[in-house]
Amino acid sequence: MLTADEAADLIQAIATRQDRAAFAALFRHYGPRIKAFLMRGGSDSETAQEVAQEAMIMVWRKAASFDRTRAAAATWIYTIARNKRIDHLRRTGRPPIEAEDWLTIFAPEEEDADKSVLAGQTYTRMKELMDDLSADQLVVIRKAFFEDKTHTAIAEELGLPLGTVKSRIRLALGRLRDALEREKDE
Amino acid sequence: MNRHQAPEELLLDFAAGALPPGPSLLLSLHVALDPVARRTVQDFQAIGGALLESAQISSDDEISLEVALSKLDEIPVESPPATVQPIPGFEWAPATLVPYLGRTPRWRKALGGFENIPIRIPGDRHRIEVLRLMPGVGLPQHHHTGSEYTIVMQGGFTDVTGNYGVGDFAMGPGPTDHEPIADPGEPCIAMIVLEQPIVLTNRWAPLLNPLLRRGWL
Repeated sequence: MLTADEAADLIQAIATRQDRAAFAALFRHYGPRIKAFLMRGGSDSETAQEVAQEAMIMVWRKAASFDRTRAAAATWIYTIARNKRIDHLRRTGRPPIEAEDWLTIFAPEEEDADKSVLAGQTYTRMKELMDDLSADQLVVIRKAFFEDKTHTAIAEELGLPLGTVKSRIRLALGRLRDALEREKDE
Repeated sequence: MNRHQAPEELLLDFAAGALPPGPSLLLSLHVALDPVARRTVQDFQAIGGALLESAQISSDDEISLEVALSKLDEIPVESPPATVQPIPGFEWAPATLVPYLGRTPRWRKALGGFENIPIRIPGDRHRIEVLRLMPGVGLPQHHHTGSEYTIVMQGGFTDVTGNYGVGDFAMGPGPTDHEPIADPGEPCIAMIVLEQPIVLTNRWAPLLNPLLRRGWL
């Protein structure tokens, strides 16, 4: 296993000294995960492998853009893999938001009040929190992330009214946030 | 404090990369300008990260480290991207919009007393434009046949649904007629992304709607 801090250290080692051993460690951990993630979303094995390779090379190239105070390593790598997949699907022109743009979007002068509550969580905690969501909520969230489907497309596919899908998304996010807010107050 | 955020389900679509390029660009501007929307997108991305981290893997998911390592010699680790330089006169534009404005963007006079800059994104079928309205100027009364997204980048506007300032997001659903009017003060600059051509409902409508449908206006 790799903790979020260890993963961030590895990315930093690539950024500061082109550390190939650090890259190998990151690759062993995230390469298979990206592939599995993409295949869950319906990619065939060959495409998933290709995108995972490209995503990991991008992690190497863009390591110096990673800022551990703004995003966890997995979140950053998720964004890169997601963009690579979109890139793969389109293959026409550039994707609208490059991975590095994501970092400029998140302006540095953010105040504490605006900080994402979920971004600072450990993965095990996030996983626990997500296990507490209802199956109905989870299926929508998973479809959004694994299959790149809009909430409208998800509603169509599941044969649900749009309003039901919207409220599941809002409830899921609300529950995750509430749980963390309560912990903070205790 | 902004009062108009994009709905959470749309921010999820954005965070998960499910939106087409046009709406995605517009949402990126909203996220750049509105801290509350930004926080929501970061929360959703953290969920994406957690899903990646906890992906169930088997030995079939191994991918070749040797292939990747063999490429690294030719691929340097890049220095962090330079901050995007604003275009003189277009300082209101967030960084993600700048590449789409071109080097020397020019306002074009549009019918109805406002100005615009059309934005083209390869592979996107939306009608996308940046509009500039002097205070008191309104867009012609219209309704929508598809969804319409608006993000305010300077000044503000008011219509029957409320008042919109910098960073605010507006979504024009369906058939309600509305007539947005620019607020006093600085000119109102907004980007608008239309799924379908708008339908004018004023007295010039019979003449202009066919032209709008063809994208000539």
